[in-house]
Amino acid sequence: MNDDLEVNLELKLQAWLDGELSAPYSRCINPEIVGGEEASRLIDELQAIKAALAGNETARPVPETREFYWSKIERQIQSQAPGPRPAQAPRQAVWGRWLASLPGFAALACLLLLAVNPFASPVFDEISSAGEGMEAVTFHDQSAGMTVVWLTDTTPARPAESPDAKAPAPGKSEVEVE
Amino acid sequence: MPSQPDKSALSDADLARAAQEGDMGAFEELVARHRDKIYARAYSMVRNEEEALDLSQEAWVKGWQRLAQFQGGAGFATWMTRIVINLCVDHLRKQKRQRAESVEVLEEEAGGVERFMPVTMPNPAAGLERTELRRRIDRALDQLSAHHRTVLVLHEFEGLGYKEIAGRIGCSIGTVMSRLFYARRRMASLLAGLKRENEE
Repeated sequence: MNDDLEVNLELKLQAWLDGELSAPYSRCINPEIVGGEEASRLIDELQAIKAALAGNETARPVPETREFYWSKIERQIQSQAPGPRPAQAPRQAVWGRWLASLPGFAALACLLLLAVNPFASPVFDEISSAGEGMEAVTFHDQSAGMTVVWLTDTTPARPAESPDAKAPAPGKSEVEVE
Repeated sequence: MPSQPDKSALSDADLARAAQEGDMGAFEELVARHRDKIYARAYSMVRNEEEALDLSQEAWVKGWQRLAQFQGGAGFATWMTRIVINLCVDHLRKQKRQRAESVEVLEEEAGGVERFMPVTMPNPAAGLERTELRRRIDRALDQLSAHHRTVLVLHEFEGLGYKEIAGRIGCSIGTVMSRLFYARRRMASLLAGLKRENEE
């Protein structure tokens, strides 16, 4: 093939021969005009090869008996057969399991929240509340992670009802630390 | 005892439907019917009897596993042929990865010298008997590289278009055109050479 006939043109001629060019392009191709005699000869050769190959593939039977050939396929199919599908669990059991795990899940979530989230700590520093005969003051130290509760008996002093009875003296405080 | 229905009388579509329902006997009949075609396609691409046997049998196993996907539109043999072609393309790709890159391989990819040779014998197949022509084509196919042979086989024997070939082998349409062009020119050169050999 000489240099005049560019590679691109060769491929276009081949595409034209194979019916791969769109109709407008195909109408524009005339080998003798676009590439001269060389292109025509090339087209002849490509056409001859195409015609020679058409329907001339060598018949090639399997070189094994039907039974032997099939036996190998059958063995492979049987060895690769997917196992029985797992039985689907009843819907109720699935929900039951989910619900059963819910309290545990909630507890775990709370623990994680308290451990990880600084905002989970009480937002107060000191809260005071008074009730009948009792006053409670709660203090939370965020840096120490400690909560202290003072309980103060505010009832007026009176004689003990029982000698064994232990009532805090007025003004006496009991402290609980968490 | 009821006699076994004669499966050889059933159409491919009927056998495929029965096989889809798990009838392995129906599938065996399909294998018996089309095994030569599937094996021949594998052989035409890999040019090795043992590999072609393995690939064709693997194709049948895959066919069985994917039977649910067979819709019946293109025909069972065509559907199976597509499976074996895909397996052969994968097989050749793996082989190519194992081959060391060499100057010859690169030259072959580019198209070799045949691409630039003038046309000396426009019809090297002229005057040959069909049996002789088939024998020569077969010998010439042996001498093509896997890349060029694959494109030639898919285009000339399977009747696939450029776009479909490109999709199957995973390359551009330009590459398909280029490989096909080289394959044809090389085939012409080989057939002409074989013809001269015979005449001398």
